[in-house]
Amino acid sequence: MGVLDWFRRKNRAAAEVGMAVFQRKYESFKRLLDANNDTLELMARLEAVAEGDFIFDMQFIRSRSQAILQKVGTIVEELNILGDNRYQALVDLYESLREKITQEIAAPVDTEIVPLVMPLSQVDRRHLHQVGGKNANLGELKNRLHVPTPEGFVITNAAFRLIIDENHLTERIRTFLDGLNLDNLEALSSQSRELQEAIRQAAIPPALQEEVAKHYQALAETLGYQPTLALRSSGIYEDQEYSFAGLFLTRLNVPFADFCTAYLEVLASQFNRRALVYLCQKRLVHREQAMSVGCLAMVPAVASGVLFTADPMGQRQGVMLVDAAWGLGPAVVDGTVTPDRFVLSKKPPIVLLEKHIHDKPVLLQGTKARGGLATVAVAPDQRRQPALTPEQLLTLGRYGLRLEEYFGEPLDIEFAVDPQGRLLIMQARPLLVESPSSEARLPAAVGEQEHVLIDGGMVACFGVAAGPVYLIQRDEDLAGFPEGAILVARHTSARYGMVLHKARGMVIDIGSATSHLAILAREFKVPAVVDTGVATTVLQPGQMITVDATHMRVYAGEVHALLEQAHKRTPSPIVASPMYAKLRRVMRWITPLNLVDPKLSDLTPENCKTLHDITRFAHQLGIKEMFDLAEKASQRDDIHSVKLKTSIPFNLHIIDLGGGIEASRRAKFVPPEAITSIPMRALWQGISHPDISWAGPIPIDMKGLYSVVSRSLTASTDHSDFWSRTFAIISYNYLNYSSRLGYHFATIDAYVSDIRNDNYITFRFKGGAADEVRRGRRVRFLGAVLEKLDFEVEVTGDLVVGRLWKYPRELMEEKLDMLGRLMGCARQRDMLMADDAIVDWYTEAFLAGNYRFEGSPQDTAGSPNQPPLP
Amino acid sequence: MNQAAKSSPGKILIVDDEPDMLEMLDMIITDKTNHRVITTNNPLEVGELLAKDNYNLVITDLKMPVMDGMDVIAEVKSRDPDIPVVVITAFGTIESAEEAVRRGAYDFITKPFRKEQILVTIERALDWQRLVRENRELKRSMKNSRG
Repeated sequence: MGVLDWFRRKNRAAAEVGMAVFQRKYESFKRLLDANNDTLELMARLEAVAEGDFIFDMQFIRSRSQAILQKVGTIVEELNILGDNRYQALVDLYESLREKITQEIAAPVDTEIVPLVMPLSQVDRRHLHQVGGKNANLGELKNRLHVPTPEGFVITNAAFRLIIDENHLTERIRTFLDGLNLDNLEALSSQSRELQEAIRQAAIPPALQEEVAKHYQALAETLGYQPTLALRSSGIYEDQEYSFAGLFLTRLNVPFADFCTAYLEVLASQFNRRALVYLCQKRLVHREQAMSVGCLAMVPAVASGVLFTADPMGQRQGVMLVDAAWGLGPAVVDGTVTPDRFVLSKKPPIVLLEKHIHDKPVLLQGTKARGGLATVAVAPDQRRQPALTPEQLLTLGRYGLRLEEYFGEPLDIEFAVDPQGRLLIMQARPLLVESPSSEARLPAAVGEQEHVLIDGGMVACFGVAAGPVYLIQRDEDLAGFPEGAILVARHTSARYGMVLHKARGMVIDIGSATSHLAILAREFKVPAVVDTGVATTVLQPGQMITVDATHMRVYAGEVHALLEQAHKRTPSPIVASPMYAKLRRVMRWITPLNLVDPKLSDLTPENCKTLHDITRFAHQLGIKEMFDLAEKASQRDDIHSVKLKTSIPFNLHIIDLGGGIEASRRAKFVPPEAITSIPMRALWQGISHPDISWAGPIPIDMKGLYSVVSRSLTASTDHSDFWSRTFAIISYNYLNYSSRLGYHFATIDAYVSDIRNDNYITFRFKGGAADEVRRGRRVRFLGAVLEKLDFEVEVTGDLVVGRLWKYPRELMEEKLDMLGRLMGCARQRDMLMADDAIVDWYTEAFLAGNYRFEGSPQDTAGSPNQPPLP
Repeated sequence: MNQAAKSSPGKILIVDDEPDMLEMLDMIITDKTNHRVITTNNPLEVGELLAKDNYNLVITDLKMPVMDGMDVIAEVKSRDPDIPVVVITAFGTIESAEEAVRRGAYDFITKPFRKEQILVTIERALDWQRLVRENRELKRSMKNSRG
């Protein structure tokens, strides 16, 4: 039964009271703990597999993520039973995560049932396999997030297959891909040209032409004019596990009359030389190649650019980066102009932290006659004006945050500003963020004798590499790129990506860490420094160099100390395989933990982003619900309880939920030996420790007594009313103990079993008579002891809370035993703590087992100054 | 078995309908050993591939559409009973894996598995093939010397 089904059966728990509801909720609590434990174990195993030592298949990813989903579903359901449906927000979150995970692990749909063309208004992530990553993401933005995006339609993969099939190219492509050989770039180039030409010459089947015309007409009707189109490629694997950054063709400002030519050109670009090399490098040739194309109404952008929702180099935390320039987008990503750079803070409210405005002499725009593009001069007074207004930047920042949260990872977002000043999102794709290891941040371990050739620039990919310099001045130079060389060039041209599988490192004169080539360098883990300014002039072809990209330095020769350091950090190659990439994509909704504040101040449903967060949230709140419930139950008259037969002046009421007391010993009074509850027995052992004195008056100083004005202090040896407010709700594994301890309220909530992950103790101690200063001293005493006993301690005013989780059973029993002793010792102890220094003495004494506090500094002081009682 | 024999390269055919799985196995084996790896995601090709070339080991997925791992075992054994077949099975299908061994598979390995596990199984299977062939050779020469 799903969580939603369960919610349809409403009004279950609200009206019921008494033992029955208590028992049922307790069962829920146990199921919650079980599911919590199973979930954490499944997640841990998944994380172990993702480290790179395992071989697994898609079925494994599916079955594991489904198993985790099912368990977390149980957790959410049980928490809502415990909390009388107060955690509805968690159900919604769970459902949305379930949908996202299910989409990631879904199998492709058969081509036959996929339409050839779909309006963008009907596309979302569920159509990933039909429309490719870029279109699926755009549809998701438009139709689920309702972010402003261009209007348009999508030509699916099925259309590509139809064209290939009808033009008898299917077999040719297969044979071509099977025979790809990266070692002969020239042969590859000519084969690529031939195949692309064959695709450009292909006939588009009439059925497809009709469909496209129909959708274009509908688009024109929606807009009220006949738009030119932007044709954007959207490969099956593009923008998912793999960037394919800048490898496929985009055609802008295409009049509908030229549609067929432009469409075929975009399809052909799938087999361009660079894309093919990338496929080989990424070991994707064996997969089916297909391409969907997004046809969007052209936005005559006055400005455009890219938003990175995180610093791709991982160096600056909590910022978003915006690059923007006048005119259409390609100017920004191709490096034609140096764009303005804006830095936004990520924490709401978003503010503009920095702006770097550059001279932008040219812009790219669509030409009116017959489509096409032209680079034109920017008006002199505009060149040094910021390409975005502060309002546009803030709007963009807000979109960025929303999208990042929705997609669950940092994003690279392309945007445009239309002539009305409205911001439109053109595409969003995952942003690969470098995370330099902590070692990498250390200063470079290099001797002073090493000759530094270049010092400075910008890191594009962290790491260290050595090799001979290979200088690229023209594209033709790429063909001769030798295995293991360092790529040195003037610009960050994405074309150089095709030799990255052979390059050990890269040093570039001009360019940014956000360029396509930099993205590729990170994907291929090629240590790279860009923007050095001098690489092509300082470095000589064939010269042996060591690139320390992490510290932006280039050394002459091989610097062995650096290389050895770097070698130790090389990960297993298998983690780069498609299956591992898929696993990581699924896991981003499952295993990351965002609720990491030990003080639990972040414990709200809004802060839960993953299944792990939900699990942690539900576990904590489940304990709280159970605790509240037990407290309420102890105040009820209609719940049956038994009393403990003991010489200790203790009127302890016990509610047994099952398995807590020997079945044969059920009577109104039972002896302590009849307790079978693991935590209760352990606690009782501490309470009844021979050195703990519960009976008789304890030594007091009269100031302390004076402050306890309203109650009798003397505890008699019989079962007096004084102790009557002590209750324990127990089962075999569970204990909720709440006690008026003298004038203080103490509670223990504990679960102890053989499964250590389920085990916890929460101890709370509050209030007390005496004055505030003295109460504070007692709380400090308790806090100090609890800390020594390995509890996580929080002290707020006169409330001390100690928490302990996931210790093995024996240790949990030991801790409960100590808590029993501590409660005994602590009763009224504040009255003896006449000054601050004494707190430490009592702490030490307790830990040394001196439970009677013999030799206390206050014993010798005696009690001479007794004030008269009122 | 001495070290030299152990590291002598073998030719391994891997059959799995999931190309990404083939890719991963290929990556692991070629990264860690000097064996040659040929892969196919079409089990119907197995006969043809075996006819064209000499293989020292076949690794096959058990559950595949059209022709399953059992059929692959039969195909391999009908051509050369000395080629060991290692079967890869999904977790929870131990029974069919045991059935595969009854039908002549050398061993089975359950997904997900560690890299080392498949590498060790490969070495053992190749050793087994060497032993079987040496044995056969020995018997033949004994027979000849007696005859």
